[in-house]
This record gives sequence, C-alpha cells and structure tokens, in this order.
Amino acid sequence: MTAVRSIPGRRAASRPPAATPPVVPSRGWLADWAAAWSGFWFTPSDPLPLAVIRIATGLILTWSCAVWLLDADAFFGDRGWLRPDQVWRVNDQPWQWSGYFVASSPTMIRVVAGISLVAAILLTIGLATPLAAVVSFLGLVTAANRAPLNVFGLDDTLGMLLVPLVIGPSGARLSVDRLLAGPGRGRGGEPSIRATIALRLLQVHLCVVYLFSGAGKLFGASWWEGTALWGAIANDRYRTLDLRGLAGHPLVVNALTLVTLWWEVSYAALVWPRLTRRLCLALAVLVHLGIGLAMGMMEFGLAMIAANLAFVPASTLSSLLRPFTSRSTDSPDNPPGTPADLP
Amino acid sequence: MLVWSEGVVGMGSESLNERGWSPVARACATVAILAYLAAVIVPPLAGPAPASDLANRVLQPLRPLVGALYLGHGYRFFAPNPGPGHTIRWTMTMPDGSTRIGQIPDEALDRPRLLYHRRFMVSEKISALVLPADAPAEVRERAKRDWQPLVKGVATNLLRREGGLSVTLETVEHYLPDPAEVLASGTFADAVTPLGSYAWAEPQP
Repeated sequence: MTAVRSIPGRRAASRPPAATPPVVPSRGWLADWAAAWSGFWFTPSDPLPLAVIRIATGLILTWSCAVWLLDADAFFGDRGWLRPDQVWRVNDQPWQWSGYFVASSPTMIRVVAGISLVAAILLTIGLATPLAAVVSFLGLVTAANRAPLNVFGLDDTLGMLLVPLVIGPSGARLSVDRLLAGPGRGRGGEPSIRATIALRLLQVHLCVVYLFSGAGKLFGASWWEGTALWGAIANDRYRTLDLRGLAGHPLVVNALTLVTLWWEVSYAALVWPRLTRRLCLALAVLVHLGIGLAMGMMEFGLAMIAANLAFVPASTLSSLLRPFTSRSTDSPDNPPGTPADLP
Repeated sequence: MLVWSEGVVGMGSESLNERGWSPVARACATVAILAYLAAVIVPPLAGPAPASDLANRVLQPLRPLVGALYLGHGYRFFAPNPGPGHTIRWTMTMPDGSTRIGQIPDEALDRPRLLYHRRFMVSEKISALVLPADAPAEVRERAKRDWQPLVKGVATNLLRREGGLSVTLETVEHYLPDPAEVLASGTFADAVTPLGSYAWAEPQP
C-alpha cells in the first residue's frame, strides 16, 4: 500500500500567484537615502499637533515662570542660591548665556521674569505666536542657565518642546492669531513643511531622551533586579503618594520596574511602527502620570506627555477636538487621514 | 526605496516631487537639521561618566550651539539606580542672639510643589559633590574645593532671606529602607555630613 502525503508547497504552487506589492525600481543606495530623508523631513503636514503641543507647553511654561517669580531674587539675584561668578562651576561657560547676568538688580530681574511670563501666556493662547515662541524660549534658557542648581528634567523637556514651536507654524491652528486672521484671510492650517520639520525634530529628540535614559538605567543593578521602583517609592523626599504598601508585593514592584525599563529602552524603535505605537504612547502616559502623582513631579510628567503628542496623528487629534472646533474657524482644513498627517 | 513598512514613517517617492521647497532650501534645511540633531545626540554621549574621548572631542565644536539652545543634558533620569534623597539642614544665629533652624527643601513651607522641587535640586546637586565622612581625608578635601563655593552661595541666600548673622549647614542623606525594613516598621538613621559655618564678611546694612 502506498502512502500518499501532501508535499508542502506543491498545492500552493498550483494556486494563482498571490498579489505582490509593486516593485519600485531602485535608483541607487544614495539616491534612496536622499529620497527617504526628503520624505521624512519635507513632506508637508497638518500643523494641528504642533498647535496642541503649543497650548500644553504654554500652560506648563506659564506655571513654571510664575513659580520662578515667587522667589526671583533667590534664583536669579547676586545673593541668591548661586552667585553669578560661580555659575561656571555648574554650567559650560561662556556658552550657556543668560540675560540675568546683565539684568541682576531686583527690578530688572522682575522685568525679565515678567516678560518671560507674558510671553508664555501669549504662546498658550496663540497671540503673536512666532514672537511669543522666540521670547518664551529665550526666557526659559535665560532662567535655566542662571539657576543651574534649581533646574531639573522639566526644564530640559520644556527646552525640547520650545525649539520646535519656534521653528514650526505653531500658531496656525487653535490660536487667537488664527481667529484674528478671520475667514477671509485664508483658511489657515494648510499642510506645511515647517510643521513637519518641527514635529520630526521633536519626535527624534524624544527618542534620544528615552534611549539615553533607558541606556543609563542598564548600568544599574536595581533595574535588572526589578527593585528600582522601590527606590523611588521609599524615597520620602520625592513621595507625594504613599505606595509603601507595595513592600509586601515584590513581584508587583518587579513588574512595574521591568515594564518601565524595557518600555524606555525600546521606545525609540517601537514608537514608529503603527502596530506598536499606541502601546508605546499608552505606556508613556501611564509612566509619566505615575511619576507625576507618586513623586510630586506633575509638571515634568505633563511636559513629557505633551512631547509624546508629536506621535499622535493630526487626524486623531482632529477627531478628539471636533466637539470644540467644529463651529469655529479652526475646523480641519484637511480630511482626516490625508497624506498631510504625521507620521 | 527605504520604506520598510507601510505607514511607518509616511514617506514615499512621490514626496520628492510634491510642491514645497526648492532643492537649495532643502539642502540648507538639511544642514540645519543635522547640526541640531548633532547638538541633541552628542551631549548625552559625552556625559555624564562613563563617556568616550571621541564623544567629548566631537562635542567641543558643538559647545556654542549646545549652550545657546540649552541642549547640554545627559538624560540619565533615575539612573543608574534611584538613590536616597538629601536635604540641607541649617542653624542660624540671629542679630538678637536667638537661633533659628530650617531645612532645604521644607515640605511644609515650600509650596507650590514646583517651588519645593526647585529648592530640592539645590540639596541634591550639592550633596552629590559631598563625600561621606568615612572617605579618605585627602579625597574629601579635594571634593570640598568643588562644593564649598556652592555652599557659600546657599549660606549667603539664607542669611539674606532670614536676616541672620551666621549659619551652620549640614547635608542629610535620608536612609532608603528596603521593603523588609519597611514591613518591620523600624526607625532608620540618616547620614549627616557637616558643610561648615558661614558669616557675613562685613556688616550688613
């Protein structure tokens, strides 16, 4: 008796060939790179994500400027936490400039800090946006470089957010500028190459931040052991939410630590494919809200979440904002899902 | 074509021919983008330690750009391991001979929370430079040359704010208990390192 068995592949060969993607002729390695670069940076996109990031950044920056003003003499004065002639010990002088090196009298300190605050408010509402973005950035740098003993991750993140807002048309949508332009002055919010460059810079910068933050953690035994988050929980200087009850649940601490570590390490790779992007962004929100609530750094957490908005497509934001914008001049100019979307 | 998955980065050959900037404008923008990306990527490669000589050499010509754009960050948040928290305790002698005590930061007084955090960073950054009392004396003395000018600034600020004559400072490293110690509800001793006493060099108005 002869056994009959199917041979893998034979049957498939008898089927009609499956549809294959069209083959794009290669123009050479360098030309392909140039085309990819050009497509990545110079494809016009909807400035809506940039506008949303502008509002979030403006609100956090306004709050930060107000807090600087609460103790302006200590932060920026000659007899403050750090004397001007000692700043070089902490910063890279002379490159890390600050207006407070010149404006060091109590009155001038308040004038400069006040201008920064007004610029942040204007940035938030989108009035004279290009100028407000530039002054806001200068205000951030001038404060951070004069008070290096008082800055932390929030200031790094605000700097990362403000440069794209200076470069891109961040006031083209959801802004007073847009309202003042009126319906007769063009619809505004057209796809823009500057918006693409700004969002791409923010996306790449964010990936760099997570990559180095994750890589730095790989030096630490506590991250591999899954106990690092306990170090944050048990640190009473940071604590705003008492999670010491987790002392009896070491596996939960392990899981939270390892998810945080590997999410951060892999973010730069996994945030780009659509398949994994939502998971990456959802974890970003959870991690940063967790840091904000448990460690009292809500401003930092919110700023990082604002930066993650660079990966949310304009069409998604447009859908979310439709209840607020459908009757205003800010209704989307491009149907959702057009090539103007990023990424 | 370097499109490795549909929709991954939203690029395609058609983008080369779309309306937009001239090739010269794109070339100029490309140079600016590359310079910015270098200023973003090189600083965390060059520090904090350990870092390569190569990264530090590449950083040198970028320093003006890095400094001007406030990009000189290492991004090592809570790395390599989350450590203990630090405060600076102070005891001040007032003009009437009384004594006043306080700490930086002070959770009860430093509100809102962002103000607390900005003051907390003073303690954290100075304490990172201070070596514990059991370190070799020569090494501690060398470290002191780095932290003492910063502590003088802190003392100056406190004396100005409180109107005192002299102030004595010490850094407190708050013990970080492990889970078993928390479950046992023990009490923990913090490590205290003196930072010195400071007074105005000349009478204040």
